[in-house]
Amino acid sequence: MSVTAPSTRGGRWPLVRPWLGIAARLGLAAVWLVAGASKVSDLAASGRAVNAYQVMPYDVATVIGAALPFVELALGVLLLLGLATRLVAGVSAALLVVFIAGIASAWTRGLAIDCGCFGSGGQLAAGQAPSYLPEILRDLGFLVLAGFLLIWPRTPVSVDGWLSGEPVVEDEDE
Amino acid sequence: MSSRKGQRDAARVVREQLARERRRRRTIWVSAAAVVVLVIAGVVGWVVWSNQRSDSFTTPPGANADGTGIVTGGGPVTVDVYEDFLCPACKQFEQTSGSTLEQLVAENKATVVYHPVAYLNRFSTTQYSTRSSAASGCAAADGKYHEYAKALFAQQPPEGSAGLTDDQLIDIGTSVGLDRGSFGGCVKDETYRTWTEHVTDDASRSNVTGTPTVKVNGQQVENPTPDALTAAVAAAGK
Repeated sequence: MSVTAPSTRGGRWPLVRPWLGIAARLGLAAVWLVAGASKVSDLAASGRAVNAYQVMPYDVATVIGAALPFVELALGVLLLLGLATRLVAGVSAALLVVFIAGIASAWTRGLAIDCGCFGSGGQLAAGQAPSYLPEILRDLGFLVLAGFLLIWPRTPVSVDGWLSGEPVVEDEDE
Repeated sequence: MSSRKGQRDAARVVREQLARERRRRRTIWVSAAAVVVLVIAGVVGWVVWSNQRSDSFTTPPGANADGTGIVTGGGPVTVDVYEDFLCPACKQFEQTSGSTLEQLVAENKATVVYHPVAYLNRFSTTQYSTRSSAASGCAAADGKYHEYAKALFAQQPPEGSAGLTDDQLIDIGTSVGLDRGSFGGCVKDETYRTWTEHVTDDASRSNVTGTPTVKVNGQQVENPTPDALTAAVAAAGK
């Protein structure tokens, strides 16, 4: 009931959690900012990278490819600010699940493509093998960050915290 | 006593309910704002992309009917070559198999269509892929596409660099016998930049995901060595 008392759970968790939280938030922010920035300068290539998955018509792929880098940058900025962290973490998790599904499906269909996660998408140089497993494992790592923020969205130095005017506590934010 | 405590409790419950309501509303507003930001970001991307694309394009003389590539020869089998002047593997392909293609054209066995796509703009700081492809359109206008392409590959700049300057692109043109005045003007004016975009767009649409890609009568040749090309053209010509 009381919001000032730290967690009833013992141990270091209540002390460590805010720091883990801010690390997850800034880490995921960096992921989105880098991913978006690497694609934003060549939107045509971004569309090609989406099209290389061969899951949607070319014209749809180009629109997704053009919109995606900007959405990624926006997610990064929102996480950096710590605004609507739970929602942004949810959207991040959903996007990552889509990416993982896309890579897995490219893998099972035997396509030889680069995931296009951080720019340089679609094409592979001759003789270059696709690296689907590392790409999926990396995205799973990012998914863990998003999952952490989904469960514990309140982190220090965030606009969310500033808006609520409350210290970081283990409250039941909806 | 107990009634006052009851009042205090009731007041606290009301306060807590109000606070909870405030929190709920704030969460809703903040979430709505974040959703709006994300949607706007997506729309901005789409608008930027639409503005970058040109509606029409200028096709150089010597191109095929669709304006997607430069035609050499007139043999019965069509060989499509998708290449980017910044791509090291394309340079390698040109150096190992380029003469084979020339020979197939000379023997009137194949028609070779070169598609100079701009896939690797991210790997130069000056959009070298687009500029060199547009310049190759200028060379095609004077009937010297392949001579110019070979010279470009011979002097290929490394990936990640600034690429060659427009002046260097013009110098390479004059070295293969192009006129400095008309060719140079064409390169400087980026006359065929919209054509490069069209070529690139068409290649992407036909699921050409990498360069070089070589197709013989529409069938991709996975490893286009001289032998494989000769065999594929022979098989397709039967």
